[in-house]
Amino acid sequence: MLIQEELAAAFHPSNPCIVSFATRWLWLVPAVPMLASGVIALLKQPRRKPAAALAIGSLGFSLLVSLVAFAHVLSGWMHHEAVRETLSFSWIQVGAAHVELGWVLDPLAAVMMVMVSFVGLLIFIYSVGYMAHDENFTRFFCFLSLFAGAMLGVVIANSLLLLFMCWELVGLTSYLLIGFWYHKPSAAAAAKKAFLTTRVGDIFFLLGMVWLFAQTGTLLFYNYGAGSMEPLALGGLLASPAGLGLSAAGAIGLLIFAGAAGKSGQLPLHVWLPDAMEGPTPVSALIHAATMVAAGVYLIARVYPLMQAGALAGGTTTALTVVTWVGASTALFAALIAVGQNDIKRILAYSTVSQLGYMMAGLGMGGVAVGMFHLITHAFFKALLFMGAGSVIHGCHEEQDVRHMGGLRTAMPVTFVTYAVGMLALSGFPLLFSGFWSKDGILEAAQHWSVAKGPFYMLVFGAILTAFYMTRQVSYVFFGNWRGHGKAHESPAVMTAPLAILAFFAVALGFIGTPAWPWFRAFLNGQAAGLDLARFQEPGLLPLMASSSLAVLVGLGLGWWLYGNKQSRAEEPDVLERAARPVWMGLHGKFFVDELYGATVIAFYAWWARVADWLDRRVWGGAVAGVALLFRGWAHLNRLLDIHWVDGGFDKSCEELASGGGLLARVQNGRVQGYLRLLALGIVILAMILIWSSRG
Amino acid sequence: MNYADLFRVTLPETALEIAALVVLVADLGFLRKAALNVRASVAALLGIFGCAAALWTMPLQAAGGLVYPGTGEVLLMAGGSAAVAQIGILALTVLTLFLLMDAEFTQHVGEYVAVVLMAAAGGLLIAAAQDLLIIFIGLELLSLGLYILAAFAKRSANSAEAAIKYYLFGGMSAAFLLFGFSYLYGLSGSTNLAQIVAAEQGMHSGAMLTIALVMVAAGLGFKVAAVPFHLWAPDAYEGAPAPAAAFIASVSKVASFALLISVSVAALHIFHGTHGPWSLILAVLATASMVLGNLVALAQVSVRRLLAYSAIAHAGYILLALAYFSDSPTNPSVILYYIVTYGLTTIGAFGVVAVVERSAGSDRLDAFLGLHKRNPALAAILLVLFLSLAGIPPLVGFWAKFNLFAAVLGVAAGAAPFGLVALALAMSAVSLYYYLQVLKRAFVMPAVTETPIVASPLTLAVLMMIAALVVVFGCFPALLQNWIAGFYPSM
Repeated sequence: MLIQEELAAAFHPSNPCIVSFATRWLWLVPAVPMLASGVIALLKQPRRKPAAALAIGSLGFSLLVSLVAFAHVLSGWMHHEAVRETLSFSWIQVGAAHVELGWVLDPLAAVMMVMVSFVGLLIFIYSVGYMAHDENFTRFFCFLSLFAGAMLGVVIANSLLLLFMCWELVGLTSYLLIGFWYHKPSAAAAAKKAFLTTRVGDIFFLLGMVWLFAQTGTLLFYNYGAGSMEPLALGGLLASPAGLGLSAAGAIGLLIFAGAAGKSGQLPLHVWLPDAMEGPTPVSALIHAATMVAAGVYLIARVYPLMQAGALAGGTTTALTVVTWVGASTALFAALIAVGQNDIKRILAYSTVSQLGYMMAGLGMGGVAVGMFHLITHAFFKALLFMGAGSVIHGCHEEQDVRHMGGLRTAMPVTFVTYAVGMLALSGFPLLFSGFWSKDGILEAAQHWSVAKGPFYMLVFGAILTAFYMTRQVSYVFFGNWRGHGKAHESPAVMTAPLAILAFFAVALGFIGTPAWPWFRAFLNGQAAGLDLARFQEPGLLPLMASSSLAVLVGLGLGWWLYGNKQSRAEEPDVLERAARPVWMGLHGKFFVDELYGATVIAFYAWWARVADWLDRRVWGGAVAGVALLFRGWAHLNRLLDIHWVDGGFDKSCEELASGGGLLARVQNGRVQGYLRLLALGIVILAMILIWSSRG
Repeated sequence: MNYADLFRVTLPETALEIAALVVLVADLGFLRKAALNVRASVAALLGIFGCAAALWTMPLQAAGGLVYPGTGEVLLMAGGSAAVAQIGILALTVLTLFLLMDAEFTQHVGEYVAVVLMAAAGGLLIAAAQDLLIIFIGLELLSLGLYILAAFAKRSANSAEAAIKYYLFGGMSAAFLLFGFSYLYGLSGSTNLAQIVAAEQGMHSGAMLTIALVMVAAGLGFKVAAVPFHLWAPDAYEGAPAPAAAFIASVSKVASFALLISVSVAALHIFHGTHGPWSLILAVLATASMVLGNLVALAQVSVRRLLAYSAIAHAGYILLALAYFSDSPTNPSVILYYIVTYGLTTIGAFGVVAVVERSAGSDRLDAFLGLHKRNPALAAILLVLFLSLAGIPPLVGFWAKFNLFAAVLGVAAGAAPFGLVALALAMSAVSLYYYLQVLKRAFVMPAVTETPIVASPLTLAVLMMIAALVVVFGCFPALLQNWIAGFYPSM
């Protein structure tokens, strides 16, 4: 606590503005789970109950503080004030330059904070049931808590540097949790792959950050006009060109986007996310569906002023165009692959990649509110789906292949109903489900996008595919006949209760973002919100809603027609495989991106390593051996000279040195008279040096 | 100016003197029959209260210090860099008093604490003094205290020898210093630093002034143990009782460097820049200290002597920063940061050495063999402190060195400062070798004996706190830096 008080005392004195109570204590939100993680790390392995209680209690506390902060922002918004409070302190000071860290409370952070801590809390509770039989139970909760703390740190950071630090911590915990069952070689490999792939993006992110610091001299986002996301700094960034027709703002934006693409599994860095499903299912739900992968989207939303800098009214920027195209391509590409997968979690993983593409496209075309709304709704229903999948896996004795399931709707009724809600929300079933409204917002933005119409068609086609592959999955799992081994059973209440809560939100959240009552957008943008049914009559809106509903229904119908309620055997080939084998092979093989990387990047590195090895052994090694030979010859010559010439001289000089050492020893002989003489001598020499130097 | 003004500025010194008297009365009057450890605890606690009282009175000092009426020339500063140094002196004194509590080298703990407090009062005086007379009086008050402290283990011949060497050396340097002061007075007609600056500004680099500055440098070089005025240090560090050695190595250093800052500021104004003879003197002393201190430390087998030579080397680094000095707020604060954190670390190091010494009977390197088995906590503390002295991040020693060298390069461009900083960095690398020599024995080399080394809980707690501070200030360098920088609002 002492440190905290001193930290508070070290706060930058140039922040005269009084910050609210909520902001002053905002640091508790990430700090408490991190502290809990540290305490759990010290607990002994069998102490399961205290570990779980600590983790859940700390995140519950974070949720409480988040809600207080949210209420503070909300009350400000109701009084028509755009709340953006920051608190910064100087971390390192070197001369005039200093690096500052801090946190920010604004609608964006508040919404995200509540989502992360709430979904996280439900998943923590669910994990108590899911991991009950794991011998490393406490280690699991230690990592989960650390993750939650780091993720909340990303959310509240007001400095790109602090965000980056927490970002890397999040990456570390992701690595630890994917490889949680490290004795499985596939899990260990997946963890490594996730870490290395996201690292590719992080290098660009780091470059962008350093460039931003060099240009603006600060990494704070908002600092009463002096932050890097504020008009003054952005103006400077726009004015300095970076080549290729880009301004520095655009180039830095693209570099940061590369980091976001790595974390959020955008093309071409999506390969790690499906493999990450090797981790325990709560991890997939928390990290690889609801929160961490959304961090990339959140990052883009956070630096949106930078991405948008220089856009004219209604126009767009190069950075945002790139974001849009990458997002739309990812959405379509991953949806196609999801059609051809048989692992229940991999289908969901590719669906996550696809939905992250939607969010990016939404950010690129519609702005912060459009992308963030899909992020929030997706977090709820995707966490629901993953936890439902976990419940299915749990009930089917760790079976993950959908072909070995079937007919589970009778054996697992609660899981079935909640899973169906999640599936309909993800598919975007009209009117009732949140996914419909958030996806509709993105489609609407795509329709009005001035640059090109391509993304719109890609996203609509992606929506059809989404409905199709989810119907396929649900048909395989819950309908038809049981094709597995043993007998499936329903999961305990500690697992199903969070499912029910999430299912409620998967429906209810949609109503805060309908075109008639766009509360979410108004809240994020600091505008007033009111209920106005007349907005449905805006030109083009109803046709758009109808066509997107149609797309969903087509996908659902197609899926049900091909897969619905069939009696089949597990070994039978897929319907699509029978119809068009080459297409199916492409989809099932994930378009062979992994193989492509293996044949290009990895093969190149392997080849390069072999070349380096050969060079080392043959060329340099030979050269060294040659030089060594030369010197040995030289040494032989020397030895001859030595024996005959030098030895005598050397012995002589050794004697000299020894007597010199004796002289030096006599100086420090402990006799004070000598010391004093030396002191006087020192003064004389000093004076002589000075007088000599003043002459010269 | 009257006695009330004087009293208001010297409140902290007064508090220390009163505490010294109280300690004497309590120890000699009331506790004559009490056990030694009770008397030591009471005396040390009273001393700590005295330091706390002095700290408490600091904000009550008259703002702006003690001023000649009419002229506006300052006699004694209050606030600013003086306040930083004074707080450092008081805090480090408290820590050395903690080390006394379970020491057994003397029966006369009351006198010991009283002398410590009076010496600390001398330190406070010279940290604030802006007048040659007050400087000299303060220096003598401090030095006489230190001579007595060095001799305090009366039954130890080593202690007596160390003290007499220290005393003779100190007396000779004081004579040189006074000689230099008298030249300065003769040249300028004043004993006030500001008036000397005003009188000398026009007529720089007279030979008389050069001689005077060399004499002053010799006197102050003795206090900070700069080569070639360092010869007393190894003997004194080795022979003096551990708490006294810690006091000499930390508190007296802080006070002396604070005084050197005052003198350097004056010299800077006399010579309008950094290239006067004063900076040349300091650069020569710095170079000699860095090279000799680090190289001779390599050959030591006694850890105390090793610490003495390492102290000489550290003094060299600081003198380098003083040679390339500027009057900006950052520069003195960086130097004070270095010396205060160095004092903190070195008190801890002496604490560890004292514990080992009492158990093993010697401070030879081999006494540290297998320390991590014999007392893991002590070994861990030793690791933190020595690595900090070597300047390994993220410990405080790293930031101190980093800021110091960065400040040198920030003040002066050119081959000479750059070369000297490069030399300092190379010598820091050399220093790592001898620090690791000790740590290697504590952690790696096989133990001769496995009998545990017992440290009293209090000593261990104080040492742990010091180590914790070294880590915390290292991880959050801005804490102390901002706090020190906060004392320079106007400069």
